[in-house]
Amino acid sequence: MQWIFELVVKYRVLCSLLFTSFVSLWMIFSSSERQAATTRFLTASVFYPLQLTFNQITLIEDVFSENRRLKMHNAQLSMKISALQEQTAENQRLREMLDFSKDWPYELIPARVVARDPSLAYRSVVINAGKKDSILNFMPVVTERGVAGKVVQSLNGISLVQLLKDPSNRISVLSRRNRTVAILETDDGQHFFMRVRSHEDFQIGDTIVTSGLGGIYPRGLEVGIVKDIKAGSDPLFKRVFIRPAVDFEHLEELFVIRLSPQWASFLSEMDSIEFNGND
Amino acid sequence: MIKNTFKWIVIFFLIFVMQTTLVPAISIYNIKPDLLLLGLFMLAVKNGVMPGLYVGFFLGLAQDIYSPVILGQNALAKTLAGFFAGLFNEKVMRLDPVFQAVLLVLTVLLGDLVFLVIQLVKSGGSVQMLGLEMVISSLPRALYSLLFGLVPIFWEYLFQTKTKR
Repeated sequence: MQWIFELVVKYRVLCSLLFTSFVSLWMIFSSSERQAATTRFLTASVFYPLQLTFNQITLIEDVFSENRRLKMHNAQLSMKISALQEQTAENQRLREMLDFSKDWPYELIPARVVARDPSLAYRSVVINAGKKDSILNFMPVVTERGVAGKVVQSLNGISLVQLLKDPSNRISVLSRRNRTVAILETDDGQHFFMRVRSHEDFQIGDTIVTSGLGGIYPRGLEVGIVKDIKAGSDPLFKRVFIRPAVDFEHLEELFVIRLSPQWASFLSEMDSIEFNGND
Repeated sequence: MIKNTFKWIVIFFLIFVMQTTLVPAISIYNIKPDLLLLGLFMLAVKNGVMPGLYVGFFLGLAQDIYSPVILGQNALAKTLAGFFAGLFNEKVMRLDPVFQAVLLVLTVLLGDLVFLVIQLVKSGGSVQMLGLEMVISSLPRALYSLLFGLVPIFWEYLFQTKTKR
């Protein structure tokens, strides 16, 4: 037995040639049924596993490409969902505004915020309505929640709105409960307060509305709610802090009240009055 | 060894894909280059008789199974072609490109001769038909295969051989 093995190793090339040739010739000269059976056997035992391996490789490649496609699809769906959520929120806001404008006694001009004061603590916004929409300077600007500010510059298609959070924008307000009038002011655009006499009866939760004095804002527009009361350095006065009704950080849609300032009609007459204080 | 085996598996996979997709498109008067035989020739010349013989056998067997006319016909043809090309491998002699080109043509002709002889024996026919087939079909096929074979042969000669030196 050993010598056969040694012989095969010694003449391995010849043996291999004879072996492969013999197998080939056996296949060639076997009957067609035998050939078919051999083909089936080889296909099932050798080539199917090989084909399966190649198919697996192709499958993995397909998985990668499908993964890429799904990721792209996912991104597109996320964008669509985001857009739908935005539309739903806008729809909700517009519904609230519609309800608000129905109950409102003044003529309202709807407008959308198109730009903001670029500073961190912005104090004004630009809206997409102007003179062509009959908007004039000093017209009050509100949201469905309350007073937002006033128009300070009206151009043809846009207007600049000065918000209540601008420290230079002070308005006359009164408490809806006790009718005490005061001036609403702010130092930093964040904290709103009124300086009132110490004996005035203010309580946390009191609603503060416009007083109608000053000629710009009509009486009764909601401004905010009393959230804190602190004694001032002067014992005769105290500070009543207000939480504004309007969220100035999320202004998107506004209404301009078509209401000219009460002093506009006699403004020109006032300008023409000569001041004769020395007489 | 493993790297070399893997390299040849990839090469034969690519050749197989090209043979089934590209080659039918570039056939001239139904004469197609035999890229599988070209790959077998390059393998045998580089690696010797034994790889040429066995790879030829399994390559031919695969062809027989995928296009079964006479099972074993391609296996024997490719076995003998691989064996023949392997006899002139780089380990026993230095091959210049012209000799390799002649050898490639002879290998293709040998493969076709074996194939046609089996056909003749199994299906019947005359020796004159075989000779005619060799002239009008096998010789153009061998030359067409050589056209493709010149690329790897000269690539080997110009780049690989110089680096070895």
